[in-house]
Amino acid sequence: MREQTKIDGKQAVMLMLSMILPTAILTIPSISVRLARQDAWLSVAVAVLAGLLFARLSVSLSLRFPGRTLIEYAVEVLGRAAGKVVGVLYIWWFVHMGAVVIREFGAFLATAIMPETPMIVFNIVVAAVAAYAVWCGLEVLSRFNQLFIPLTVFLAVAFVLSIKDMRLERILPLFDTGLLPVLKGAAVPASWLGEIVVFTMIIPSLAAPGSAHRLACISVLLIGVFLILSILEALLVFGPEMTAAWFFPTFNAVRVVSIAGFLERLESVITVVWVVGGFIKVGVFYYAAVLAGAQWAGLRDYRPLVIPFGVVLVSLSILLFDNTAHMFAYLSQTWPAYALLVFEAGIPLLLLVAAMIRGKGEKGGR
Amino acid sequence: MPGFRWLDRIKKTKKRQTAAHKPRQSATSGRVPEWSGAGGLLSADLEQNLQRIKRTLDRCSDVVYREFAFAQMEKVRLVLIYVDGLADKSQISDQIMRALALEVPMAVPGRKISRAEALEFIKRRGLCMHQVKEADRLEDVVEAVLGGDTALLVDGHPVALINGSKQWEKRAITDPEAEPTVRGSRESFIESLRTNTAMVRRRIRSPALKIETLQLGELSRTDVALLYIEGLAEEKLVEELKRRLSRIRMDAVLESGYIEELIEDSAWSPFPTVNHTEKPDHVAAMLLEGRAAILTDGTPFALTVPNLFIEYLQASEDYYERFIFTSAVRVVRFIALLVSLMLPSIYIAVVSYHHELFPSTLLLSIAAQREAVPFPVFVEAVVMELTFEVLREAGIRLPRPIGQAVSIVGALVIGEAAVRAGFVGAATVIVVAFTGIASFVFAYSASIAFRLLRFTMMAFSAVLGLFGLISGVAVIGIHLCSLRSFGVPYLYPLAPAAIPGLKDTAVRAPWWAMLTRPRLIARDNQVRQGRRLKPEPPPAGPKGGKG
Repeated sequence: MREQTKIDGKQAVMLMLSMILPTAILTIPSISVRLARQDAWLSVAVAVLAGLLFARLSVSLSLRFPGRTLIEYAVEVLGRAAGKVVGVLYIWWFVHMGAVVIREFGAFLATAIMPETPMIVFNIVVAAVAAYAVWCGLEVLSRFNQLFIPLTVFLAVAFVLSIKDMRLERILPLFDTGLLPVLKGAAVPASWLGEIVVFTMIIPSLAAPGSAHRLACISVLLIGVFLILSILEALLVFGPEMTAAWFFPTFNAVRVVSIAGFLERLESVITVVWVVGGFIKVGVFYYAAVLAGAQWAGLRDYRPLVIPFGVVLVSLSILLFDNTAHMFAYLSQTWPAYALLVFEAGIPLLLLVAAMIRGKGEKGGR
Repeated sequence: MPGFRWLDRIKKTKKRQTAAHKPRQSATSGRVPEWSGAGGLLSADLEQNLQRIKRTLDRCSDVVYREFAFAQMEKVRLVLIYVDGLADKSQISDQIMRALALEVPMAVPGRKISRAEALEFIKRRGLCMHQVKEADRLEDVVEAVLGGDTALLVDGHPVALINGSKQWEKRAITDPEAEPTVRGSRESFIESLRTNTAMVRRRIRSPALKIETLQLGELSRTDVALLYIEGLAEEKLVEELKRRLSRIRMDAVLESGYIEELIEDSAWSPFPTVNHTEKPDHVAAMLLEGRAAILTDGTPFALTVPNLFIEYLQASEDYYERFIFTSAVRVVRFIALLVSLMLPSIYIAVVSYHHELFPSTLLLSIAAQREAVPFPVFVEAVVMELTFEVLREAGIRLPRPIGQAVSIVGALVIGEAAVRAGFVGAATVIVVAFTGIASFVFAYSASIAFRLLRFTMMAFSAVLGLFGLISGVAVIGIHLCSLRSFGVPYLYPLAPAAIPGLKDTAVRAPWWAMLTRPRLIARDNQVRQGRRLKPEPPPAGPKGGKG
């Protein structure tokens, strides 16, 4: 199937922001700080460089095949059998990623906001809202995102307000642990930034696909800035030990903000931002999954797949991990190698090289 | 008139159907009572015509037949047919009867008119009416008579002269009641279509303002006018609107709401995608932004399309007051919008789940108030909201003099006494009252949607706290994003965002800065005014003037 709707460049960048940021801000600080201590923010800077490479890779690949998504041109590049296998792998990956994100949100809400409610309730509601948005289409999803993304300003406001509690010494000395932990700590944020490979499913819906390189770069850089800010916020307020000890250190950093006995409890505002962002993040992966599924199976419309995929997403989000600690261990140890090497760099690079060797696609597709 | 061609085409095809395929006369047969007399052409025999018309208008006691003779030739019998109360009787007796029976001989003394010449002579010299048309079909004659015109049958001619004599009792133009203003025009539409179109025409005197009329409703034959400014309103919009109007097949159109429900984009949405107003200046402003308006006879409300969500936060007064003040008021309206949708649900969520969000002193005082209250806060809030809705509805429906009694009962008994008796906490009353007031800050039709959704949101937050509330808001947000009104995204210019369009949302830019019309509505012609309109007082003289 071919998507008819078009979104403009600004909407695409905002969609990328919402696709990566909400969970990244929530979980990356803890994971990165555990590996790179007070240099975690440097890790993110390194990860941004890697992210730019991933963005370049997947956009170059997509622009060789204008108007088509990864699922469609994989068949052309690798031949029918191998291409379909790659398609299935990506459908799985989108579903898997969607389920992980749902789980992350369920875990966050069930631990930090409403501890007495079973997690599956949150998972179902998040998936249901995302399903409604996906049902309405990419255009509606990106408009909805555009409507709520101004709330992200509150993240910056929270950063400014917590300056009072910050001590610069807490991130000193630089490179205390050496270069290797910094690079190790970069793996996780890089795998998050690499999620930009989902952009390959959206590029055909861009009103001006030619600007995709620029849009992807801007998105990665903006995400990097927000990520560095949130890690710095947690580090400067709590120092590396405490940051690493919590699952959601940014949330706690906002929690301690108190100004003039009046401006406090900001975490509720931040929660709103995160939850809305979470709907959109789940929505994008959900959309990528059903679109990929429909294109793989040659359906005319992806809507019949929305509900079945939703059921799979929710069940998977419960079945994947035993508990939150298990999820964090998985995200910090297994996920980077799995996502980064296979789906974000491996297969796209393979496809690009194969396309170049076999002369598929447009030569000038840069 | 090229503008009417489409209408004629529809009429013609309809007529052809009725004439050619009597048996399968489709949609209308059976549902709408048939005329008792047969239709068809008039004959030259006056007596026969009269019999057929009388048979058609059998038992219609308000129809008057007046037979008299033509002064120039006694043998030419004339019959006037009109509806008592719809036609102007003084005009009929002065301009038609007096003219034909007495004054014609004075104008052309001595001249004899033959029977064959009579019709042409009467039409050109005899009738002193401002509008005279010929009709040769029985249906047209009957329709004209029932519309308030006067038919004149002339003996020996198979044609009736239709005199425009519409004149019936109508209300005077009054202040707008549903949309009162402090500054700006105080006129509001009335129930008469002609008066209403005139009020719009008086504001836009350009020939580009097109007013096309058509009739809707097979029994009511309601006149409906379609207004737009050629060159501003997109052609596609006007065509689409005509297409949607032309597929309306129903007994009667008693109010513009009938049309609204039949032409809107999302029939199941709680949000209206067709706006309505009773202010002619508002309609003029809408037309000038490239929208189209529909005026319906018999109602003082005009419909305007396409409809954007932000229209409900704009008042026509906003554009008459100075922009700084207006912008401040707009912000207040935005807050009121959020309050009316969410305040009770936030209250429920915080009191039942998130106590930590209250400052401790406030939390203690609310806890103290609620100590004696026997119900959970959700039940308390829903009951109070329902009470408020009942009072509001009663306030509208009750006869005016009783209205005051209701408000006293509402304020004293339900507010004060309920709190004293310990049925509800004072905080709940405050929340419900504030929410109720807030919902009247913005346009009524949108506030209905929000009032409905408020109850859903309360249920959401009673079940899942703030998370439920956010989920509810997200679903509403997605729904709003998916709506379109005649092809224009409902949330434009918020999403899809457009910087020039944002000049007229949460703030209103000064007139000298609002250079363009809404981009997605007036696509073809966007510049609305000249540049550099900002007032620039002449520089002060070197000596700083006199004094």
